[in-house]
Amino acid sequence: MPRYGMVVDLKRCVGCNACTVACKAEHGTPPGIFFTKVFEQVTGKFPIVHKKYVPNLCYHCTDAPCNKVCPTGASHSREDGIVLVDDNQCIGCRACYVACPYKNRYFLPKGHLKKGYFGGKLTPFEEKKYSKYQEGTVIKCTFCADRVDAGQKPACVVTCIAAARIFGDLDDPQSEISRLIRQRGGSQPLSDMNTEPAVYYLEG
Amino acid sequence: MSVAKAPSKAGSSKDTQWTQSVCKMCLAGCGIKVKTEEGVVTKIEGDPSNPDNYEKLCGKGNAGLMRLYDPHRVKAPMIRTNPDKGPGVDPKWKEISWDEAMDIVGKKLKAIREDDPRKLVCAVSDFQRIHLWAWPAAFGSPHYFTTVGQYCGAAYHPINGILDGSFACINDYDYCDYWIQIGCGDGFSSHLHLSGSATRMADARVKRGMKVVYVEPRMSAGAAKADEWIPILPGTDRAFVMGMIYVMVYELKKYDAEFLKTKTNAPYLIGPDGHYVRDKNTGKPLVWDEGANKARTFDDMYGDSKQFALEGKYKVEGVECRPGFEIFKEILKDNTPDKMSKVCTVPSDTIRRIAKEYVEAAKIGSTIMLDGKEYPYRPAAVNYYRGALAHIDGAIDNIAYKMLNILIGNIDVPGGHLGVPMDHRGLWVEPGPDGMIKPQPHMLHPPYPLKNPPDSYQLMEWFPLGVDAGHMSLESILEPAKFGHSYEPEAMLIYHSNPMWNMPATSLVQEVFKKMKFIIAIDVIVNESTEWADIILPDHSYLESTLMVCLEPPVVTGHALRQPAVNPLYNSRDAGDILTDIAERVGCLGNWNDILNFVLGLINRPELMLEPDKKYNHLEIMDRVAKCVYGDDKGLDWFRKHGHAVRIRTPEEVYLPYGENRIPFYFGIMLEEAEKVKKLMAETKIEWDVSAYQPLPIWRETALFTDNLDYDLFAICFKSAIVNFSESTSIPWIGEIVDKTPDNSGVWINPVTAQAKGIKDGDEIIIESAADKILGIARLTHEVHPDVLAISNAISRFAEHSGVQRRMGTHFNKLLPTGLKWTDMCTGALETTVRVKVRKA
Repeated sequence: MPRYGMVVDLKRCVGCNACTVACKAEHGTPPGIFFTKVFEQVTGKFPIVHKKYVPNLCYHCTDAPCNKVCPTGASHSREDGIVLVDDNQCIGCRACYVACPYKNRYFLPKGHLKKGYFGGKLTPFEEKKYSKYQEGTVIKCTFCADRVDAGQKPACVVTCIAAARIFGDLDDPQSEISRLIRQRGGSQPLSDMNTEPAVYYLEG
Repeated sequence: MSVAKAPSKAGSSKDTQWTQSVCKMCLAGCGIKVKTEEGVVTKIEGDPSNPDNYEKLCGKGNAGLMRLYDPHRVKAPMIRTNPDKGPGVDPKWKEISWDEAMDIVGKKLKAIREDDPRKLVCAVSDFQRIHLWAWPAAFGSPHYFTTVGQYCGAAYHPINGILDGSFACINDYDYCDYWIQIGCGDGFSSHLHLSGSATRMADARVKRGMKVVYVEPRMSAGAAKADEWIPILPGTDRAFVMGMIYVMVYELKKYDAEFLKTKTNAPYLIGPDGHYVRDKNTGKPLVWDEGANKARTFDDMYGDSKQFALEGKYKVEGVECRPGFEIFKEILKDNTPDKMSKVCTVPSDTIRRIAKEYVEAAKIGSTIMLDGKEYPYRPAAVNYYRGALAHIDGAIDNIAYKMLNILIGNIDVPGGHLGVPMDHRGLWVEPGPDGMIKPQPHMLHPPYPLKNPPDSYQLMEWFPLGVDAGHMSLESILEPAKFGHSYEPEAMLIYHSNPMWNMPATSLVQEVFKKMKFIIAIDVIVNESTEWADIILPDHSYLESTLMVCLEPPVVTGHALRQPAVNPLYNSRDAGDILTDIAERVGCLGNWNDILNFVLGLINRPELMLEPDKKYNHLEIMDRVAKCVYGDDKGLDWFRKHGHAVRIRTPEEVYLPYGENRIPFYFGIMLEEAEKVKKLMAETKIEWDVSAYQPLPIWRETALFTDNLDYDLFAICFKSAIVNFSESTSIPWIGEIVDKTPDNSGVWINPVTAQAKGIKDGDEIIIESAADKILGIARLTHEVHPDVLAISNAISRFAEHSGVQRRMGTHFNKLLPTGLKWTDMCTGALETTVRVKVRKA
């Protein structure tokens, strides 16, 4: 069984947000909800200025605080490490939402699935995509589990124009992500929280 | 709803289909595959089989399905019921039938054409359907009323075409080691085929360790990723480059002399009149042979071009003369790094250091073997685009950047500066006179003959090296007598263009729109311009239409087929068919078919040519295009099955395309054309300065630095990847990201500057130029030069009766003045930096 993970190469990322939009299209998330997004960090003073783009997503932690606090077992890790929420079991208590140190979970309030991006009526695309969500539950990045199960890469990885996101098996020492982490010293976000994220950043 | 049959290799099942197609969210046209589930488009991805971008696709491309389903789309022909027009005035659209709409349009335009076809003004600018740009010519209208020259390449394309028959240019992603980028976003955020280019750029930087040096006034995504960002005052990039060249020539004395002697006209002897000194018997240009210590013709069989003098003063045939290179050295004397530093604000030490790093990285004299052939190897190059040359002296700018490349011998060699062809035909290389490559300044359409008075509002007859300076139409229309126009315009046809938003001096654009008695628009959604229309005719979305798209190739070549992923959702028609229909109704179908035969290249296969008076739909025309380029067995059906015929260009195609033809070092065509224009303009009372036609780069101040000096800051505009080539904030996914991205949270102002003016982050500010003023919100950031205000295109929209979201309405173009004073008199490029002052609102 693989342990799925991702490497985000901050040297490659150009902050274009192709990932953000590809994720929107893949998951059809309603307004205001981003399973992935890109932050900018600017330091220094003119003319010595540094700007870094940092993509952000669910880190699919091995020791996931979200799972621990879920009272129903809705929030769970698959054997391959992908953290998912079973919305049939989710009671919308939002404990996981609070527990996630990365703020990468979203609560779908009542009425939210009636809101399309153009206001008023949902587009045919939204009608189709919204049908898989339930109001009153917590939703999040799934590492594109459906795609992964079908042997494809996550949507953000496929589309990334700078090839800054690499997906693979952390347990396979020969995988590209394992090799990159070894060679370039990947770091996990907030590693002091001991959540063992499955996403590693390579510094720019 | 039936769904277009998808190629099996894209992995379709009964309810789920994947259709190979081509993106149209910007002009580039990346390969895509479109997923439909039960007839609904649910995903767009890069086409893994298309070597242009493989599976990669930018944010805009990913967002295309939102445009398809945008409820603000024009769903049927519509006619205005409110006779009042103006910004913010509701047109009160009423739906009408196609027959009704086309009858009205046909009658109006027929009457105009019978009276004087020049009374129709067209704004047509779909780059993927560039053949439709020719429609106004079929009608008999010579005008161009939108920007192509202003925001694209007035000063870019002609000089590229003169150098090596290229349309655009790029550095070599595969072999360059030291990449200087000035005023452009290639490989990071914009320009040629971003999705593929960004992958190639990231590979070069991360896998090969290529160094990137970015020169620009504000920190773009590229500058953020670069090894070094060199902030510079806008409009002075050429001064920085001239300083670098000075260092190479005078201080380091390092340049590729052999390349200059053997592959360019740098050794050709130039007389006091600026022209070649020619052999009396043969008329051929002369060079000075240092070995034999005598003058020879450049192609004298006894001469060895490596012995040709680059320097010195000679007397030949009784004429004092010097090689072009010697003349350039003289010019350069004035361009010391210390002097240029004062102009561009880059420290002279930095100019010296970058020059040294650049020339050392160039590995002058080295070679590389590729596919069994040896090429010169110059892994250093400077790349540039609009920010570096959309200025009053844009032609001189471009020649200066070319010169920085030419001096290290990197033109079209591995690692160097590469010409990018306009289309599948490759670079336009033909032998010209005097051993030189034939200059190709006109690729978009044939040149307009010099003429007085001019027919065209954009004055193309007076810009023999220019690209249509759409902004000059403003003055021509509002003051027809000024340039000798003897008629008043009556109607405007807008297709795939938004002149109200994209032209300078917006208040004048409004005056032009008010002057039009009838405005016809063809588009997918309503925008700032089309909300002034009398009739709007709906075009298909790109996910509903068919087109053979030629990929403008930085790296690849070939056509891909756009094919419908879904049937049209609404009562729309293909814009090509609409224009053909109008041509028939107004009586110019014959002209239209003739012109299409020419611009689509069908004249190369007479049996595929359109017959003069037969009406063809766009599918028939595209089928002929496919067969014409790829053979009779590769018509539309072949492309429907295979998707595309795109492939990576081979080293043989990319490198040394000019062969035995020398390329210009000394751009002599400039003086030839200047003399013709000077003679022509002497017939008029119009003062016409031809000093912008320079055969060699110089530094000189323009009105940007001598006028309006009480406006203490320089305003520039910029685009980031999510709004590349045109902003797309009518798409809410993009709008949402734009709103969250610091780039677009306000007008960039350096904190030191802001403090001096008492402006705080988030303050409402008034930005004022000599032309107009706009409101904005201050965004204090160290990512911008202290003398500069930088404004994103994503906060500039102002339409009110469309799907466009207004956001800040900080419309940069409104600040830009227009007119000859702000125009490159050689190419027609508009000055796109403007002096402003800013204060708290």
